Amino acid sequence: MMGKTNEQELLMSTQAAMLDGADVPKIPWYRRLTSDWLGYVLLAPTLLILLLMIAYPTVYFIGVSLFRWQGGAMKDFIWLGNFVRLFTDQQFLNSLRVTALFAICAVSIEFVLGLGMALFLRTNLKLRGLWRSLVIVPMTVTPVVIGIIWRLMYNPGFGVLNPILQFFGLESVDLLSTPFGAFLGVVILDVWNWTPVMFLILLAGLEGMPIEPFEAAKIDGAGPVRTFFDHTLPLLRPSILIALLIRTMDCVRMFDQVFILTQGGPGTSTEVVSLYLYKTAFKFYDVGYAAAGLFLLLIFVTLVSQLYIRLIRGKEETA
Amino acid sequence: MTEDYRRPLLRDVIGEVFKYLVLFVVAIWVLLPVYWMVTTSFKTKLELSTVPPNLWPEKLTWTNYRNLFVGRPFDTYLLNSLIVVLSAAAAAIVIGTLAAYSLARLDLKAKFKSNIAFWILSTRMLPAIVVLVPIYAMYNALNLLNTRIGLILLYTGAALPFAVWMMQSFIEELPIDLEEAAWVDGDTRIGALFRIVMPLVAPGLVATSIFTIIVLWNEFLFALMLISTTSKVTLPVGINGLITMYDWQWGQMTAIGTIAVIPILIFTMYVQRYLVRGLTLGGVK
Repeated sequence: MMGKTNEQELLMSTQAAMLDGADVPKIPWYRRLTSDWLGYVLLAPTLLILLLMIAYPTVYFIGVSLFRWQGGAMKDFIWLGNFVRLFTDQQFLNSLRVTALFAICAVSIEFVLGLGMALFLRTNLKLRGLWRSLVIVPMTVTPVVIGIIWRLMYNPGFGVLNPILQFFGLESVDLLSTPFGAFLGVVILDVWNWTPVMFLILLAGLEGMPIEPFEAAKIDGAGPVRTFFDHTLPLLRPSILIALLIRTMDCVRMFDQVFILTQGGPGTSTEVVSLYLYKTAFKFYDVGYAAAGLFLLLIFVTLVSQLYIRLIRGKEETA
Repeated sequence: MTEDYRRPLLRDVIGEVFKYLVLFVVAIWVLLPVYWMVTTSFKTKLELSTVPPNLWPEKLTWTNYRNLFVGRPFDTYLLNSLIVVLSAAAAAIVIGTLAAYSLARLDLKAKFKSNIAFWILSTRMLPAIVVLVPIYAMYNALNLLNTRIGLILLYTGAALPFAVWMMQSFIEELPIDLEEAAWVDGDTRIGALFRIVMPLVAPGLVATSIFTIIVLWNEFLFALMLISTTSKVTLPVGINGLITMYDWQWGQMTAIGTIAVIPILIFTMYVQRYLVRGLTLGGVK
């Protein structure tokens, strides 16, 4: 903020110096383009692309979702018929349930593991940098490849899962062949894939915390558990919220890994909402109906984005 | 006295052992799938179906790697990925840096600025399929389906949120004094942007570029739906093509997986420091 006022003063004084004793020339439009409007000119290409990515889909959905499609072409205008159909479509409601359940399971496990590891690796440890590099390996792997790796791991014949289960005296399983097993398989994959993100965000939050409250707590003789709940958690709250929100949204976006690992099956047990709408649009060419579902998804994401912005703002104000 | 001294010592040793035990388990958990991919890629076709599987290949073979490039056009896929990803990343970085400078330094209406931030964020959080269906219809009408330029355009849009938010946070961290000095010397704002700001944010620029490249390199759904000719297919879609109903080419799939992951892994290690910033769009630094 201070920088900005300095900059304005400076601009005014240099302008004044330039104009001193000279006739005030009328500034042509193309010069004003690089002075008064420069901020907007530099933003123009970004704005154009964002319009294409958000505004155009919105208009498209509003238009297309009002029609019934048949054979890949618009047929009749049916008002909100597609939306009514969505709320009575068991498969759509199932995909919402699967997505929600998946997000809740995956995010909560990742949160507990990520927080644990962040607290753990924050304390003095030899080769900490190495450990940190190690932990972020999973998130670098291409999602399609991740799907393949885990499919290989889960393979009941030559996969690695069953030898491990046998080592612990458990029975062999064909994990992806049962609805519950397949769901579990997707959750495990996601936990492997994305716990590092949770860990990194929380670690950054931990490292950014002031040291005074902890020293005070130590002097007061508070134990580690007490200190954690009284000081660490409240101070970490903004980072926790950001981490949970980002990860939840990524779970809603989940597509590639499920597409490779289970294709939504068996049955519809792992059919997340992205996958269901993908099938509706590109396999059954029911575009109007898919548009209605996608429109609801778009609205949901927009609302969450608003929330996220407020969160970041709030954090900056308290910081 | 001695007892007081000894007790914490014993506890420390146990604590220390426990700590490394946990780290050991974490390391195995993290590395096992990757290890499995890499070792599988060196197994012979016969050994691939051994039950139970061998932890280490009995006989190392390069056959899987060779088959990717002899029998299949994976060199083309790699090249396509490089062309599309680098072009889109470059475009996103240029466009995004200009926008970031504007958001960080120039006078914009506060309301306008927060609207932009919100739009950029929404783009980041949108599931790919939400953008894909309308874009598919548009590309169909404009004859952009199955063209590299179409994919590059969409990738530019997909990478833009990362580019803008990361660059904005890097530029905001620079002290403004240096720019002011340049203006006093008669530099224009654009001149100062290129002569003063750009060299100073170079590390941030590199980090942002790498982050953008990683995101695009891994992208699958857009490429899957927009490109259909073999000569234009990108790597993740090419890998997906190895999966057929009856025959999973495990050896080749793990081999190409290994190839796809190595550059990203190296890049990620390099930008480690900035990962959180990229992941949270500047929410946590």
